[in-house]
Amino acid sequence: MNVLTVCGLGMGTSLILKMNVENILKENNVNAKVEHLDVSTAKSTNADLIVTSNELVKNLEGHKAQIIVIKNFFDKEEILKALKDKKII
Amino acid sequence: MEILNSIIGSLAWIATNIFGEAFILVGIIVLLGLLLQQKPINVLVGGTIKAMIGFLIIGAGAGIIVSALLIFQPMWQEVFNLPQQDLGSFIGQDSFINKYGSIVTISMAGGFLINILLAKFTKFKYIYLTGHMMFWTTMIFAGIMVNTTPDIEGWKLILVLSIFMGIYWTLQPALVQPFLRKIMDGDSIALGHTSASVALLGALFGKILGNKEKDSEHIKLPEKLEFLRDSNIVTACTMGLLFLIGAVILSFKNTEGAKTLIAQAGNVSFYIYAVKQSFIFAGGITVVLLGVRMFIGEIVPAFNGIAEKLVKGARPALDCPVVFPYAPNAVILGFLGSFIGAIFWLLVLGNVAGYIFVPTMIVLFFHSATAGVFGNSTGGIRGAIIAGFITSTVVAIGQYLTVTFLITNTIPDTAMWAADSDMFILGPIIKLITQLIS
Repeated sequence: MNVLTVCGLGMGTSLILKMNVENILKENNVNAKVEHLDVSTAKSTNADLIVTSNELVKNLEGHKAQIIVIKNFFDKEEILKALKDKKII
Repeated sequence: MEILNSIIGSLAWIATNIFGEAFILVGIIVLLGLLLQQKPINVLVGGTIKAMIGFLIIGAGAGIIVSALLIFQPMWQEVFNLPQQDLGSFIGQDSFINKYGSIVTISMAGGFLINILLAKFTKFKYIYLTGHMMFWTTMIFAGIMVNTTPDIEGWKLILVLSIFMGIYWTLQPALVQPFLRKIMDGDSIALGHTSASVALLGALFGKILGNKEKDSEHIKLPEKLEFLRDSNIVTACTMGLLFLIGAVILSFKNTEGAKTLIAQAGNVSFYIYAVKQSFIFAGGITVVLLGVRMFIGEIVPAFNGIAEKLVKGARPALDCPVVFPYAPNAVILGFLGSFIGAIFWLLVLGNVAGYIFVPTMIVLFFHSATAGVFGNSTGGIRGAIIAGFITSTVVAIGQYLTVTFLITNTIPDTAMWAADSDMFILGPIIKLITQLIS
């Protein structure tokens, strides 16, 4: 499974998010490749799942991937719940 | 004696080939971090290589930027009728590095060890990772020490430099962190760069003189102009204008220098050549940002590994481009401010002090870009531009004082293009320490 964590610039919050998402997926035995990207590059990158913040959702309109919105990138509980809601975990 | 020589020889080799080659130092750090996290072999190899490549891409991008700046600089020097620099007699970089190169590199290794110890046992948990700045800063300080006391003993140089650099590399990131936290909205990375002084000054003056509400990244553009939101485009336009103005002025001059520069364009119109250089500059920045993304993507998680195992809670202190993506417009505004300041100080120092300031665009760009981001964080657009002007002031006056009084007989040639903000500010302290121990 290909997962993208996306923020505006591709190295700040998306990177922190990547580390958290990667750890949570691994802990729950989900096999996934997680990459962090800026929103411009993400638009033209294939993925099964995109994890991002609310203000960037519009920029990703039309992308084939499932989109999960996270409010607090440092909150592991929120990420875990969001992944469970979408039946990823 | 033999054993001692071998040990010193090995240390010097390590220092030159590992610390001198920053990308290897980076690879080792990342590999160590991944090993400590017990990552599988494919991640070890992939992560280490990606970090090293990303780091080299940054250098490649910086090289592209510098190549364009090396056209920019002579162009504007010719515009202002600047003659060749006559500096009197001095040792020069070539000879200096032959005699003192090993001492410099051993001091770097010593400083790094002290940095690790301080990070482990004090509350200042920062590990300085900007290898090339470690090298240049130690070099310039060695130049100042030898200039102060020409027959100073090697062990004194190593002792003073190791301790001073170890403390500086630990404390400088700590001083900047309160401001950096807000810019990057996080606390996992620190700034390890000699632009720290002007970054702090930029943040300070931004608070006093700026307007935080007018954030440079909120510059609203009409829908049709949305393409300008791309920082690549803004950079190309700004630099294009500056290059073009310089080219136009040169084309009206009939000096030998102007003719030589114009001839560089070959068959192509000098105006086209100038615009091309400005786009190369913009391209260089894009490349730098790509490299930063790759490199940061590996080093932060890997560093977490080292930090967690060896020095609990330490942050990597990284090269200044780490802040550029957080306020790309502020980067350009800072540079604009320093460019204006550079021209101002060029004229003032020339007329008042009889010193021809060499406005090294390399230092001016990277330092004012960093200062611009900090200035914007406290003072918006105005803060960014003022931060740029402050940068050029520190660099201009610093260069004048350092070349004229601190490093005159050793490596003023290096100081003119490689010495920068923090080095200028701390230089006098180095001279004082040298006088005390001589």
